[in-house]
Amino acid sequence: MAHISIENLTVEFAIFGASSRSLKNRILSHATGGRIMSGARDVVTVRAIDGLNLEINDGDRIGLVGHNGSGKTTLLRVLAGIYKPSGGAITIEGQVGALLDPTAGMDPESNGIENIYLRGYMMGMSRREIATKLDDITEFAGLGDFLALPLRTYSAGMFARLAFAVSTAAHNDILLIDEGISAGDAEFQKKVQQRIESLFDRTPIVILASHSEALISEFCNRRVQMEHGVLKSAA
Amino acid sequence: MMHAEDGESAQPVLNSPLDVKKSHEIPQSTTGMTTAAHPKQQAPAIRISAEAVPAQAFADIINGARLYELWSRFAFHDIRQRFRRSVLGPLWLTISMGILVATLGLVFSTLFQQDASKTLPYISTGIIFWGLLTGCITDGTTVFISSEAIIRNVPAPLSIHFYRLMARNIIIWGFNMAIYLVVVAYFELVPGWNALLFIPGFILFLINLAWMSLAVGVLSTRYRDIPQLVANFIQVMFFLTPIFWSPLTLPNRPAFVTLNPFYHLIEIVRAPLLGDEVSSASWALCIGMAAAGLGFTAWLYRRAHARIAYWV
Repeated sequence: MAHISIENLTVEFAIFGASSRSLKNRILSHATGGRIMSGARDVVTVRAIDGLNLEINDGDRIGLVGHNGSGKTTLLRVLAGIYKPSGGAITIEGQVGALLDPTAGMDPESNGIENIYLRGYMMGMSRREIATKLDDITEFAGLGDFLALPLRTYSAGMFARLAFAVSTAAHNDILLIDEGISAGDAEFQKKVQQRIESLFDRTPIVILASHSEALISEFCNRRVQMEHGVLKSAA
Repeated sequence: MMHAEDGESAQPVLNSPLDVKKSHEIPQSTTGMTTAAHPKQQAPAIRISAEAVPAQAFADIINGARLYELWSRFAFHDIRQRFRRSVLGPLWLTISMGILVATLGLVFSTLFQQDASKTLPYISTGIIFWGLLTGCITDGTTVFISSEAIIRNVPAPLSIHFYRLMARNIIIWGFNMAIYLVVVAYFELVPGWNALLFIPGFILFLINLAWMSLAVGVLSTRYRDIPQLVANFIQVMFFLTPIFWSPLTLPNRPAFVTLNPFYHLIEIVRAPLLGDEVSSASWALCIGMAAAGLGFTAWLYRRAHARIAYWV
Protein backbone atom coordinates (compact mmCIF):
# COMPACT_ATOMS: atom_id res chain seq x y z
CA MET A 1 0.00 0.00 0.00
CA ALA A 2 1.43 3.29 -1.00
CA HIS A 3 1.28 5.91 1.67
CA ILE A 4 2.93 9.22 2.47
CA SER A 5 2.81 11.07 5.70
CA ILE A 6 4.36 14.46 6.16
CA GLU A 7 4.81 15.64 9.73
CA ASN A 8 5.57 19.24 10.48
CA LEU A 9 7.91 19.41 7.48
CA THR A 10 10.17 22.43 7.20
CA VAL A 11 12.66 22.98 4.42
CA GLU A 12 15.17 25.77 4.56
CA PHE A 13 18.08 26.48 2.38
CA ALA A 14 20.80 29.06 2.24
CA ILE A 15 21.19 31.00 -0.96
CA PHE A 16 24.75 32.14 -1.39
CA GLY A 17 25.49 35.35 -3.15
CA ALA A 18 28.36 35.32 -5.57
CA SER A 19 30.65 36.78 -2.96
CA SER A 20 30.14 34.25 -0.24
CA ARG A 21 30.50 31.38 -2.64
CA SER A 22 34.13 32.19 -3.28
CA LEU A 23 36.79 30.97 -0.95
CA LYS A 24 38.61 34.29 -1.06
CA ASN A 25 35.79 36.13 0.61
CA ARG A 26 35.44 33.43 3.16
CA ILE A 27 39.11 33.69 4.05
CA LEU A 28 39.17 37.47 3.87
CA SER A 29 36.16 37.72 6.09
CA HIS A 30 37.95 35.62 8.65
CA ALA A 31 41.08 37.69 8.32
CA THR A 32 39.23 40.93 8.83
CA GLY A 33 37.47 39.70 11.91
CA GLY A 34 33.90 40.43 12.79
CA ARG A 35 33.55 43.84 11.24
CA ILE A 36 32.94 42.98 7.61
CA MET A 37 31.72 39.52 8.39
CA SER A 38 28.07 40.29 8.03
CA GLY A 39 28.63 42.06 4.74
CA ALA A 40 30.90 39.44 3.29
CA ARG A 41 28.60 36.58 4.11
CA ASP A 42 25.47 37.67 2.36
CA VAL A 43 23.70 34.41 2.97
CA VAL A 44 19.97 34.55 2.68
CA THR A 45 18.06 31.70 4.20
CA VAL A 46 14.88 30.81 2.40
CA ARG A 47 12.21 28.87 4.19
CA ALA A 48 10.58 27.14 1.26
CA ILE A 49 8.27 24.93 3.29
CA ASP A 50 7.10 25.83 6.76
CA GLY A 51 5.53 23.31 9.14
CA LEU A 52 3.59 21.29 6.63
CA ASN A 53 1.40 18.38 7.70
CA LEU A 54 -0.24 16.12 5.17
CA GLU A 55 -1.41 12.54 4.90
CA ILE A 56 -1.59 10.99 1.47
CA ASN A 57 -3.26 7.63 1.00
CA ASP A 58 -3.53 5.01 -1.65
CA GLY A 59 -5.78 6.22 -4.44
CA ASP A 60 -5.13 9.89 -3.84
CA ARG A 61 -4.56 12.02 -6.89
CA ILE A 62 -3.40 15.30 -5.49
CA GLY A 63 -3.51 18.51 -7.42
CA LEU A 64 -0.89 20.79 -5.89
CA VAL A 65 -1.64 24.42 -6.58
CA GLY A 66 -0.17 27.75 -5.55
CA HIS A 67 1.65 30.78 -6.89
CA ASN A 68 5.09 30.63 -8.36
CA GLY A 69 7.48 30.19 -5.48
CA SER A 70 4.86 28.87 -3.11
CA GLY A 71 6.88 25.71 -2.46
CA LYS A 72 5.20 23.22 -4.79
CA THR A 73 8.33 22.06 -6.56
CA THR A 74 10.27 22.05 -3.31
CA LEU A 75 7.67 19.76 -1.78
CA LEU A 76 7.91 17.41 -4.75
CA ARG A 77 11.70 17.41 -4.45
CA VAL A 78 11.52 16.57 -0.76
CA LEU A 79 9.17 13.68 -1.51
CA ALA A 80 11.60 12.54 -4.19
CA GLY A 81 14.42 12.57 -1.63
CA ILE A 82 16.33 15.26 -3.48
CA TYR A 83 15.93 17.93 -0.83
CA LYS A 84 16.19 16.82 2.77
CA PRO A 85 13.96 18.14 5.54
CA SER A 86 15.50 20.69 7.88
CA GLY A 87 12.68 20.12 10.35
CA GLY A 88 10.01 17.49 10.80
CA ALA A 89 9.87 14.22 8.93
CA ILE A 90 8.35 12.41 5.99
CA THR A 91 7.45 8.75 5.85
CA ILE A 92 7.01 7.10 2.50
CA GLU A 93 5.77 3.63 1.62
CA GLY A 94 6.20 2.77 -2.03
CA GLN A 95 8.47 3.36 -4.98
CA VAL A 96 8.79 7.00 -5.86
CA GLY A 97 9.04 8.10 -9.46
CA ALA A 98 9.38 11.71 -10.49
CA LEU A 99 8.59 13.59 -13.66
CA LEU A 100 10.16 16.83 -12.56
CA ASP A 101 12.15 17.05 -15.76
CA PRO A 102 10.98 14.48 -18.33
CA THR A 103 14.24 14.89 -20.25
CA ALA A 104 16.71 14.25 -17.39
CA GLY A 105 19.43 11.87 -18.52
CA MET A 106 18.84 12.41 -22.24
CA ASP A 107 21.71 13.37 -24.47
CA PRO A 108 21.37 15.46 -27.65
CA GLU A 109 24.22 13.69 -29.41
CA SER A 110 22.79 10.20 -29.02
CA ASN A 111 20.09 8.77 -31.22
CA GLY A 112 16.47 8.15 -30.29
CA ILE A 113 16.84 4.51 -29.26
CA GLU A 114 19.93 5.25 -27.15
CA ASN A 115 18.04 8.06 -25.48
CA ILE A 116 15.16 5.76 -24.62
CA TYR A 117 17.69 3.61 -22.77
CA LEU A 118 19.47 6.54 -21.10
CA ARG A 119 16.21 8.03 -19.90
CA GLY A 120 14.98 4.60 -18.85
CA TYR A 121 18.07 3.94 -16.72
CA MET A 122 17.63 7.34 -15.10
CA MET A 123 14.11 6.37 -14.15
CA GLY A 124 15.43 3.26 -12.44
CA MET A 125 14.52 0.74 -15.12
CA SER A 126 16.79 -2.17 -15.94
CA ARG A 127 18.02 -2.93 -19.43
CA ARG A 128 15.58 -5.81 -19.78
CA GLU A 129 12.69 -3.73 -18.55
CA ILE A 130 13.39 -1.04 -21.10
CA ALA A 131 13.76 -3.66 -23.84
CA THR A 132 10.31 -5.04 -23.10
CA LYS A 133 8.80 -1.57 -23.20
CA LEU A 134 10.75 -0.44 -26.23
CA ASP A 135 8.03 -1.32 -28.74
CA ASP A 136 5.38 0.45 -26.73
CA ILE A 137 7.56 3.55 -26.38
CA THR A 138 8.62 3.75 -30.01
CA GLU A 139 5.10 3.11 -31.22
CA PHE A 140 3.69 5.78 -28.98
CA ALA A 141 6.35 8.35 -29.88
CA GLY A 142 5.60 7.68 -33.55
CA LEU A 143 8.95 9.01 -34.71
CA GLY A 144 9.66 6.18 -37.12
CA ASP A 145 13.05 6.35 -38.77
CA PHE A 146 13.98 9.46 -36.81
CA LEU A 147 14.76 7.18 -33.87
CA ALA A 148 18.02 6.31 -35.61
CA LEU A 149 19.04 9.97 -35.81
CA PRO A 150 20.72 12.04 -33.09
CA LEU A 151 18.36 13.85 -30.78
CA ARG A 152 19.80 17.23 -31.74
CA THR A 153 18.25 16.85 -35.20
CA TYR A 154 14.77 16.62 -33.68
CA SER A 155 12.34 19.48 -33.55
CA ALA A 156 11.28 20.63 -30.08
CA GLY A 157 7.97 18.83 -30.52
CA MET A 158 9.59 15.55 -31.52
CA PHE A 159 11.98 15.79 -28.58
CA ALA A 160 9.06 16.37 -26.23
CA ARG A 161 7.18 13.39 -27.71
CA LEU A 162 10.10 11.06 -27.10
CA ALA A 163 10.71 12.33 -23.56
CA PHE A 164 7.01 12.00 -22.81
CA ALA A 165 6.81 8.50 -24.26
CA VAL A 166 9.68 7.18 -22.13
CA SER A 167 8.81 9.09 -19.00
CA THR A 168 5.26 7.77 -18.94
CA ALA A 169 6.37 4.16 -19.46
CA ALA A 170 7.58 3.67 -15.92
CA HIS A 171 5.66 1.90 -13.23
CA ASN A 172 5.78 3.41 -9.75
CA ASP A 173 3.71 3.43 -6.59
CA ILE A 174 4.05 7.15 -6.17
CA LEU A 175 4.44 9.56 -9.02
CA LEU A 176 5.44 13.20 -8.67
CA ILE A 177 4.70 15.44 -11.63
CA ASP A 178 5.75 19.05 -11.93
CA GLU A 179 3.76 21.38 -14.16
CA GLY A 180 1.65 20.05 -16.96
CA ILE A 181 2.79 17.03 -18.86
CA SER A 182 1.88 17.07 -22.48
CA ALA A 183 3.60 16.97 -25.78
CA GLY A 184 3.04 17.32 -29.46
CA ASP A 185 0.47 18.67 -31.84
CA ALA A 186 -3.32 18.60 -31.64
CA GLU A 187 -3.64 15.18 -33.24
CA PHE A 188 -1.14 13.80 -30.74
CA GLN A 189 -3.00 15.27 -27.79
CA LYS A 190 -5.64 12.55 -27.81
CA LYS A 191 -3.02 9.85 -27.52
CA VAL A 192 -1.38 11.86 -24.74
CA GLN A 193 -4.67 12.03 -22.91
CA GLN A 194 -5.12 8.26 -23.02
CA ARG A 195 -1.57 7.65 -21.94
CA ILE A 196 -1.82 9.96 -18.95
CA GLU A 197 -5.06 8.25 -17.97
CA SER A 198 -3.48 4.81 -18.07
CA LEU A 199 -0.44 6.11 -16.18
CA PHE A 200 -2.70 7.53 -13.46
CA ASP A 201 -4.75 4.32 -13.38
CA ARG A 202 -1.79 2.12 -12.59
CA THR A 203 -0.17 4.48 -10.09
CA PRO A 204 -1.60 4.34 -6.55
CA ILE A 205 -0.56 7.90 -5.61
CA VAL A 206 -0.10 10.79 -7.98
CA ILE A 207 0.90 14.29 -6.96
CA LEU A 208 0.56 16.79 -9.75
CA ALA A 209 1.80 20.34 -9.32
CA SER A 210 0.13 22.51 -11.90
CA HIS A 211 -1.32 25.91 -12.66
CA SER A 212 -3.90 24.37 -14.95
CA GLU A 213 -7.25 24.15 -13.20
CA ALA A 214 -8.58 22.09 -16.09
CA LEU A 215 -5.88 19.48 -15.68
CA ILE A 216 -6.38 19.28 -11.93
CA SER A 217 -10.14 19.03 -12.02
CA GLU A 218 -9.90 16.36 -14.67
CA PHE A 219 -7.31 14.09 -13.10
CA CYS A 220 -7.23 14.83 -9.39
CA ASN A 221 -9.51 13.94 -6.53
CA ARG A 222 -7.81 16.10 -3.91
CA ARG A 223 -6.61 19.64 -4.06
CA VAL A 224 -3.83 21.03 -1.94
CA GLN A 225 -3.05 24.70 -2.03
CA MET A 226 0.22 26.17 -0.85
CA GLU A 227 1.14 29.74 -0.20
CA HIS A 228 4.57 30.99 0.87
CA GLY A 229 5.59 27.49 1.89
CA VAL A 230 2.57 27.03 4.11
CA LEU A 231 -0.36 24.74 3.48
CA LYS A 232 -3.23 27.08 2.71
CA SER A 233 -5.98 24.61 2.22
CA ALA A 234 -6.48 20.98 1.43
CA ALA A 235 -9.50 18.98 0.43
CA MET B 1 -10.61 19.68 6.31
CA MET B 2 -8.99 22.02 8.79
CA HIS B 3 -7.72 25.33 7.87
CA ALA B 4 -5.97 28.15 9.67
CA GLU B 5 -5.03 31.67 8.79
CA ASP B 6 -1.48 32.55 7.98
CA GLY B 7 -0.64 33.29 11.56
CA GLU B 8 2.68 32.71 13.20
CA SER B 9 1.32 30.33 15.79
CA ALA B 10 -1.42 28.75 13.78
CA GLN B 11 -0.27 26.02 11.52
CA PRO B 12 -2.54 24.42 8.99
CA VAL B 13 -3.14 20.84 9.83
CA LEU B 14 -4.58 18.41 7.43
CA ASN B 15 -6.35 15.13 8.09
CA SER B 16 -5.51 15.39 11.77
CA PRO B 17 -1.93 15.20 13.00
CA LEU B 18 -0.17 11.92 12.64
CA ASP B 19 -1.34 9.11 14.79
CA VAL B 20 1.52 8.71 17.22
CA LYS B 21 1.14 4.98 17.53
CA LYS B 22 1.34 4.53 13.83
CA SER B 23 4.51 6.50 13.44
CA HIS B 24 6.14 4.25 15.99
CA GLU B 25 5.17 1.17 14.09
CA ILE B 26 7.04 2.34 11.05
CA PRO B 27 10.62 1.21 11.43
CA GLN B 28 13.16 3.96 11.33
CA SER B 29 15.05 3.23 8.19
CA THR B 30 18.38 4.53 7.09
CA THR B 31 18.14 3.10 3.64
CA GLY B 32 17.63 6.48 2.07
CA MET B 33 15.24 7.49 -0.65
CA THR B 34 16.39 5.48 -3.57
CA THR B 35 13.16 3.75 -4.15
CA ALA B 36 12.95 4.42 -7.85
CA ALA B 37 16.08 2.41 -8.24
CA HIS B 38 14.65 -0.87 -7.20
CA PRO B 39 11.41 -1.27 -9.02
CA LYS B 40 11.31 -5.01 -8.41
CA GLN B 41 11.40 -5.27 -4.67
CA GLN B 42 8.67 -4.09 -2.40
CA ALA B 43 9.86 -0.86 -0.88
CA PRO B 44 9.84 -0.73 2.90
CA ALA B 45 8.49 2.35 4.60
CA ILE B 46 11.16 4.99 4.57
CA ARG B 47 11.22 7.68 7.16
CA ILE B 48 13.33 10.73 6.70
CA SER B 49 13.42 13.05 9.64
CA ALA B 50 15.51 16.17 9.87
CA GLU B 51 17.58 14.66 12.67
CA ALA B 52 18.39 11.53 10.67
CA VAL B 53 19.61 13.38 7.58
CA PRO B 54 23.38 13.28 8.34
CA ALA B 55 23.16 9.54 9.03
CA GLN B 56 21.87 8.99 5.52
CA ALA B 57 25.19 9.94 3.96
CA PHE B 58 26.37 6.38 4.43
CA ALA B 59 23.16 4.95 2.96
CA ASP B 60 23.62 7.27 -0.01
CA ILE B 61 27.06 5.78 -0.69
CA ILE B 62 25.80 2.19 -0.36
CA ASN B 63 22.62 2.68 -2.37
CA GLY B 64 24.56 4.46 -5.08
CA ALA B 65 26.98 1.54 -5.36
CA ARG B 66 24.04 -0.85 -5.80
CA LEU B 67 22.98 1.06 -8.89
CA TYR B 68 26.03 -0.17 -10.78
CA GLU B 69 23.92 -0.85 -13.84
CA LEU B 70 22.99 2.81 -14.04
CA TRP B 71 26.38 4.41 -13.44
CA SER B 72 28.44 1.91 -15.39
CA ARG B 73 26.24 2.43 -18.43
CA PHE B 74 26.50 6.17 -18.12
CA ALA B 75 30.28 5.82 -17.72
CA PHE B 76 30.48 3.83 -20.96
CA HIS B 77 28.16 6.33 -22.54
CA ASP B 78 30.54 9.15 -21.56
CA ILE B 79 33.39 7.42 -23.37
CA ARG B 80 31.33 6.58 -26.42
CA GLN B 81 30.04 10.11 -26.46
CA ARG B 82 33.51 11.58 -26.47
CA PHE B 83 34.55 9.71 -29.60
CA ARG B 84 31.24 9.65 -31.42
CA ARG B 85 31.64 9.84 -35.18
CA SER B 86 35.38 9.37 -34.97
CA VAL B 87 36.66 6.42 -36.97
CA LEU B 88 39.05 5.05 -34.37
CA GLY B 89 36.80 5.88 -31.42
CA PRO B 90 38.20 5.28 -27.94
CA LEU B 91 41.34 3.84 -29.52
CA TRP B 92 42.37 7.48 -29.64
CA LEU B 93 42.89 7.24 -25.89
CA THR B 94 45.50 4.57 -26.46
CA ILE B 95 47.04 6.37 -29.43
CA SER B 96 47.31 9.70 -27.61
CA MET B 97 48.93 8.02 -24.65
CA GLY B 98 51.32 6.19 -26.97
CA ILE B 99 52.36 9.41 -28.67
CA LEU B 100 52.87 11.20 -25.35
CA VAL B 101 54.91 8.36 -23.87
CA ALA B 102 57.03 7.98 -27.01
CA THR B 103 57.78 11.70 -27.17
CA LEU B 104 58.62 12.05 -23.49
CA GLY B 105 60.67 8.88 -23.62
CA LEU B 106 62.61 10.12 -26.61
CA VAL B 107 63.20 13.58 -25.14
CA PHE B 108 64.29 12.46 -21.71
CA SER B 109 66.37 9.49 -22.73
CA THR B 110 68.25 11.81 -25.09
CA LEU B 111 68.39 14.74 -22.70
CA PHE B 112 69.62 12.81 -19.69
CA GLN B 113 71.43 10.26 -21.85
CA GLN B 114 69.59 7.40 -20.28
CA ASP B 115 68.84 4.01 -21.63
CA ALA B 116 65.46 4.03 -23.38
CA SER B 117 64.77 0.50 -22.09
CA LYS B 118 64.86 1.98 -18.59
CA THR B 119 63.16 5.34 -19.15
CA LEU B 120 60.31 4.29 -21.42
CA PRO B 121 58.75 1.69 -19.08
CA TYR B 122 59.23 4.10 -16.18
CA ILE B 123 57.70 7.07 -17.96
CA SER B 124 54.83 5.10 -19.49
CA THR B 125 53.66 3.59 -16.20
CA GLY B 126 54.14 6.91 -14.43
CA ILE B 127 52.13 8.86 -17.00
CA ILE B 128 49.37 6.26 -17.19
CA PHE B 129 48.76 6.29 -13.44
CA TRP B 130 49.25 10.03 -13.21
CA GLY B 131 46.52 10.30 -15.83
CA LEU B 132 44.16 8.19 -13.73
CA LEU B 133 45.01 10.15 -10.59
CA THR B 134 44.54 13.59 -12.09
CA GLY B 135 41.54 12.46 -14.13
CA CYS B 136 39.70 11.42 -10.98
CA ILE B 137 40.62 14.60 -9.12
CA THR B 138 39.93 17.12 -11.90
CA ASP B 139 36.70 15.37 -12.87
CA GLY B 140 35.90 15.41 -9.18
CA THR B 141 35.77 19.19 -9.22
CA THR B 142 32.75 19.10 -11.54
CA VAL B 143 31.21 15.80 -10.50
CA PHE B 144 28.11 17.36 -8.95
CA ILE B 145 28.10 20.70 -10.76
CA SER B 146 27.94 19.11 -14.21
CA SER B 147 25.11 16.79 -13.19
CA GLU B 148 22.90 19.57 -11.89
CA ALA B 149 19.89 18.71 -14.04
CA ILE B 150 19.92 15.10 -12.85
CA ILE B 151 20.59 15.90 -9.21
CA ARG B 152 17.72 18.35 -9.00
CA ASN B 153 15.18 16.29 -10.91
CA VAL B 154 15.85 12.59 -10.52
CA PRO B 155 15.24 10.65 -7.31
CA ALA B 156 18.55 8.80 -7.04
CA PRO B 157 21.47 8.73 -4.60
CA LEU B 158 23.98 11.50 -5.17
CA SER B 159 26.86 9.06 -5.08
CA ILE B 160 25.93 7.64 -8.50
CA HIS B 161 27.66 10.67 -10.04
CA PHE B 162 30.81 9.88 -8.10
CA TYR B 163 30.73 6.21 -9.14
CA ARG B 164 30.14 7.21 -12.73
CA LEU B 165 33.25 9.39 -12.60
CA MET B 166 35.39 6.64 -11.08
CA ALA B 167 34.13 4.06 -13.57
CA ARG B 168 34.74 6.39 -16.51
CA ASN B 169 38.31 7.10 -15.44
CA ILE B 170 39.06 3.43 -14.84
CA ILE B 171 37.79 2.60 -18.33
CA ILE B 172 40.09 5.26 -19.78
CA TRP B 173 42.92 3.83 -17.71
CA GLY B 174 42.19 0.41 -19.21
CA PHE B 175 42.71 1.78 -22.71
CA ASN B 176 45.93 3.45 -21.61
CA MET B 177 47.29 0.29 -20.02
CA ALA B 178 47.61 -1.16 -23.52
CA ILE B 179 50.65 1.11 -23.89
CA TYR B 180 52.24 -0.41 -20.80
CA LEU B 181 51.76 -3.88 -22.30
CA VAL B 182 53.29 -2.75 -25.59
CA VAL B 183 56.30 -1.24 -23.80
CA VAL B 184 56.78 -4.33 -21.62
CA ALA B 185 56.60 -6.60 -24.65
CA TYR B 186 58.93 -4.41 -26.71
CA PHE B 187 61.67 -4.19 -24.06
CA GLU B 188 61.05 -7.77 -22.91
CA LEU B 189 60.62 -6.55 -19.37
CA VAL B 190 59.93 -9.27 -16.79
CA PRO B 191 58.53 -7.72 -13.60
CA GLY B 192 58.82 -11.00 -11.65
CA TRP B 193 56.97 -11.80 -8.44
CA ASN B 194 56.99 -8.18 -7.33
CA ALA B 195 54.30 -7.62 -9.95
CA LEU B 196 51.80 -9.38 -7.67
CA LEU B 197 52.08 -6.44 -5.31
CA PHE B 198 50.37 -4.42 -8.01
CA ILE B 199 47.00 -5.79 -6.89
CA PRO B 200 47.07 -4.48 -3.29
CA GLY B 201 48.88 -1.40 -4.57
CA PHE B 202 46.20 -0.62 -7.12
CA ILE B 203 43.40 -1.14 -4.59
CA LEU B 204 45.10 1.21 -2.16
CA PHE B 205 45.71 3.67 -5.00
CA LEU B 206 42.00 3.62 -5.94
CA ILE B 207 40.87 4.04 -2.33
CA ASN B 208 42.99 7.16 -2.08
CA LEU B 209 41.72 8.49 -5.40
CA ALA B 210 38.15 7.83 -4.30
CA TRP B 211 38.27 9.90 -1.16
CA MET B 212 40.22 12.70 -2.85
CA SER B 213 37.78 12.83 -5.72
CA LEU B 214 34.68 12.87 -3.53
CA ALA B 215 36.13 15.43 -1.12
CA VAL B 216 37.13 17.71 -3.98
CA GLY B 217 33.67 17.23 -5.50
CA VAL B 218 31.85 18.32 -2.35
CA LEU B 219 34.15 21.28 -1.69
CA SER B 220 34.07 22.45 -5.33
CA THR B 221 30.29 22.46 -5.34
CA ARG B 222 30.24 24.74 -2.33
CA TYR B 223 33.27 26.92 -3.12
CA ARG B 224 33.59 27.63 -6.80
CA ASP B 225 37.25 28.65 -6.55
CA ILE B 226 38.32 25.14 -5.67
CA PRO B 227 38.22 23.84 -9.28
CA GLN B 228 40.67 26.57 -10.33
CA LEU B 229 42.88 25.92 -7.33
CA VAL B 230 42.90 22.21 -8.05
CA ALA B 231 43.78 22.74 -11.72
CA ASN B 232 46.82 24.81 -10.74
CA PHE B 233 47.80 22.45 -8.00
CA ILE B 234 47.74 19.46 -10.36
CA GLN B 235 49.87 21.30 -12.89
CA VAL B 236 52.51 22.13 -10.29
CA MET B 237 52.46 18.60 -8.91
CA PHE B 238 53.10 17.16 -12.36
CA PHE B 239 56.57 18.70 -12.27
CA LEU B 240 57.24 18.12 -8.58
CA THR B 241 56.28 14.45 -8.70
CA PRO B 242 58.73 11.98 -10.22
CA ILE B 243 56.73 10.98 -13.29
CA PHE B 244 58.99 11.73 -16.21
CA TRP B 245 62.13 12.08 -14.10
CA SER B 246 63.45 9.63 -11.57
CA PRO B 247 64.52 10.50 -8.02
CA LEU B 248 67.28 7.91 -8.46
CA THR B 249 69.15 10.44 -10.61
CA LEU B 250 69.30 12.86 -7.68
CA PRO B 251 72.15 12.67 -5.14
CA ASN B 252 69.71 13.03 -2.26
CA ARG B 253 65.96 13.16 -2.28
CA PRO B 254 64.45 16.56 -1.70
CA ALA B 255 61.50 16.96 0.67
CA PHE B 256 59.10 17.53 -2.19
CA VAL B 257 59.74 13.93 -3.18
CA THR B 258 59.90 12.16 0.16
CA LEU B 259 56.93 14.08 1.56
CA ASN B 260 55.00 14.17 -1.69
CA PRO B 261 51.88 11.99 -1.24
CA PHE B 262 51.45 11.72 -5.00
CA TYR B 263 54.95 10.27 -5.35
CA HIS B 264 54.15 7.50 -2.91
CA LEU B 265 50.77 6.86 -4.51
CA ILE B 266 52.35 6.47 -7.94
CA GLU B 267 55.15 4.40 -6.45
CA ILE B 268 52.87 1.69 -5.01
CA VAL B 269 51.51 0.92 -8.48
CA ARG B 270 54.50 1.80 -10.67
CA ALA B 271 57.21 -0.09 -8.82
CA PRO B 272 55.42 -3.50 -8.88
CA LEU B 273 54.73 -3.16 -12.60
CA LEU B 274 58.42 -2.47 -13.23
CA GLY B 275 59.47 -5.35 -11.00
CA ASP B 276 60.89 -3.08 -8.32
CA GLU B 277 60.26 -3.21 -4.63
CA VAL B 278 57.96 -0.71 -2.98
CA SER B 279 59.52 0.88 0.08
CA SER B 280 57.72 0.25 3.33
CA ALA B 281 57.56 4.02 3.81
CA SER B 282 55.39 4.31 0.70
CA TRP B 283 53.05 1.55 1.88
CA ALA B 284 52.75 3.09 5.32
CA LEU B 285 52.13 6.57 3.97
CA CYS B 286 49.48 5.42 1.51
CA ILE B 287 47.68 3.29 4.11
CA GLY B 288 47.78 6.16 6.59
CA MET B 289 46.58 8.58 3.95
CA ALA B 290 43.72 6.26 2.97
CA ALA B 291 42.60 5.93 6.59
CA ALA B 292 42.82 9.64 7.34
CA GLY B 293 41.32 10.61 4.01
CA LEU B 294 38.38 8.24 4.27
CA GLY B 295 37.71 9.56 7.75
CA PHE B 296 37.82 13.15 6.57
CA THR B 297 35.64 12.50 3.52
CA ALA B 298 33.12 10.54 5.59
CA TRP B 299 32.87 13.49 7.97
CA LEU B 300 32.58 15.94 5.08
CA TYR B 301 29.99 13.94 3.17
CA ARG B 302 27.94 13.37 6.30
CA ARG B 303 27.90 17.08 6.89
CA ALA B 304 27.35 18.23 3.34
CA HIS B 305 25.59 15.59 1.26
CA ALA B 306 22.12 16.86 2.06
CA ARG B 307 23.01 20.35 0.86
CA ILE B 308 24.62 19.44 -2.43
CA ALA B 309 21.24 19.56 -4.19
CA TYR B 310 20.92 23.21 -3.09
CA TRP B 311 24.49 24.10 -4.00
CA VAL B 312 24.63 22.76 -7.56
